[in-house]
Amino acid sequence: MLRNHAAKAYTFGRHHERHRTTRGIFAVLFDHFLLLPLGVAIALVWANQSAESYFRVAQPLAFFVNEIGMTLFFALITQEIVEALMPHGALHSWRRWSLVLVAAVGGIVGSAGVYLAYVNLQYETLLASGWPIACAIDIAAVYYTLKIIFPRSGALPFVLLLGIATDAFGVLVVAARHPVLAVHTGGAALMIAALGIAALLRRLKVRTFWPYLMISGTLSWIAFYREGLHPAFALVPIVPFLPHEPRRLDLFADPPDDDATHHFEHEWNEVVQGILFLFGLVNGGVLLKGYDTGTWAMLAAALVGRPLGILAGVGLAVAAGLHLPRRIGWRELAVVACASSTGFTFALFFATGILAIGPVLAQITIGALATAAGAAMAFGAAKLLRVGRYAH
Amino acid sequence: MRRLTAMLLGLIVFVTLRPAAGGVALPVRPESVKFAVIGDTGTGDKEEYDVGRQMAAVRARFPFDLVIMLGDNMYGRQRPEDFVDKFERPYGPLLKAGVLFYASLGNHDDQSNRFYKGFNMGGERYYSFAKKNVRFFVLDSNQMDPRQRAWLEEALKQSQDEWKVCYFHHPIYSDGGRHGSDVALRVAIEPLLMKYSVDVVFAGHDHIYERFKPQKGITYFVEGSSGELRRGDVKPSAATAAYFDQDQAFMLVEIGGEELTFEAVARTGAVVDSGVIPRKPRT
Repeated sequence: MLRNHAAKAYTFGRHHERHRTTRGIFAVLFDHFLLLPLGVAIALVWANQSAESYFRVAQPLAFFVNEIGMTLFFALITQEIVEALMPHGALHSWRRWSLVLVAAVGGIVGSAGVYLAYVNLQYETLLASGWPIACAIDIAAVYYTLKIIFPRSGALPFVLLLGIATDAFGVLVVAARHPVLAVHTGGAALMIAALGIAALLRRLKVRTFWPYLMISGTLSWIAFYREGLHPAFALVPIVPFLPHEPRRLDLFADPPDDDATHHFEHEWNEVVQGILFLFGLVNGGVLLKGYDTGTWAMLAAALVGRPLGILAGVGLAVAAGLHLPRRIGWRELAVVACASSTGFTFALFFATGILAIGPVLAQITIGALATAAGAAMAFGAAKLLRVGRYAH
Repeated sequence: MRRLTAMLLGLIVFVTLRPAAGGVALPVRPESVKFAVIGDTGTGDKEEYDVGRQMAAVRARFPFDLVIMLGDNMYGRQRPEDFVDKFERPYGPLLKAGVLFYASLGNHDDQSNRFYKGFNMGGERYYSFAKKNVRFFVLDSNQMDPRQRAWLEEALKQSQDEWKVCYFHHPIYSDGGRHGSDVALRVAIEPLLMKYSVDVVFAGHDHIYERFKPQKGITYFVEGSSGELRRGDVKPSAATAAYFDQDQAFMLVEIGGEELTFEAVARTGAVVDSGVIPRKPRT
């Protein structure tokens, strides 16, 4: 009997331990935004083992994930940025922005320039329309890369601002270039109604997010869809009307959930991460044999054009009288520039936003995923330049 | 001497045009639709010119008046003078004889090439045209956007033609080692091709010639070796009916009544594949 109890206790303990391990794994996946790369990894294996079965599942799901689900992802990003931009928010001062904006422009010009030069030199001008994809920065991946290299540094706020500025530009381009079946009139009227209702809810001090989302958000989504704009951005004009509190600049910190302002974020954070997993799953599956000119153009743009463009932009800004951020020297900046070459999530989203099904999308997607090599490049640069954790 | 020369020329034409052992000869009926198929041509190299000469020679016996181009019609620079070197000169005799070329766009083609008169694209990325009882559907496989897909469905649905032939650049079935089948494209358009009873599909991109056993009722060809060539690139599968990857090649196709007869002809003039495809019954 004692042995039975011991056996049961042992089994229970093992079960409890496995349960804790499973929860621990999920915690790591959620806390470090690893669900999307996990989705991509599964998609790549599936597509390259059984392509037809993969695409038969992925293609029908793409609309629901990319054009409906991803609205929540961009809504969360918008909320964080809006709150940081508010008075007393971490991004409110224009001084933080000036050098970053120049660096962002330099990065965009550098990456787009290299991309277009490459495809023109290869005489594949068909690929030219993909240049915005080459400009994308995966903010989360870059943030975590630099957090490991520079545990305590002014580089993190700089790179967050750089990512926001660069991707905001990309969003504007992608929103308008989404391939659609047809464009209908009436979207503008719906948008005005959506904004009007959101403003009214704000005036009535409605603090729960549900009516903003369900009424204004739905109207805005239909407006975007009818006008041929990418509907994933439909909540971006609505989110500023939600109640907000200024926040410090740490995009992925966990603000206190002590009021309704952050309730939206907390309600949807795990759902959004699930959506990101599906996004990776539905869009990340490409036949690796599909690499071609677009793949190399993406890599050249991201790994060479963007870092050089950022450094050139900052160099010009400093020459014009602006100052480098505190605790960032040119060596640190070089590492930041290398890390910023990672496009991954946003590059993948921009690619699916601009390009239709076909070999152009496939080869550029391979390039977008491969820009994850930017992280390795950043570590290599940090070690070579002896900065951050590699400083003596 | 003249008689001897004429006999020798006739013998050469006969030898080069006779089908391979066990092969099928083109019937050359007066009322049939006759066309040639070329893909990945626009190199401007000697081999492209050789293929052009061979096509002109073949035309003496098989008077096709139409050529379908499967994309990558131009490689490298695409200035006006390049169109002369890479298209107008290699196929000069055919163009002079009034043969019309209908092109599709490949990944190397500049998108503005759809405005080039010699390609008869009417400024469109995708279009269709008919010749007697055959309707050709020409697609831009670089990006299968929703509008193109909707156009294809509507065009296939409206077509009452006896034969439906579809062609584009990227093959949805291919055993080429470099590229292979574009499965994403296959999943996007194959259901439409099946639903509306397309008979045969031609594509290029892989620089080989390959014929597939019918896949879900449709016969697929890859002909991407009319200028470019990747020797030994085919990795034949259970679905392969025939292939040739040792020299440049082009195809001759005749559609008459209930049958499509074809030949794949190498640059040397040897017939490397031939056969007959019956028309699909319309439901």
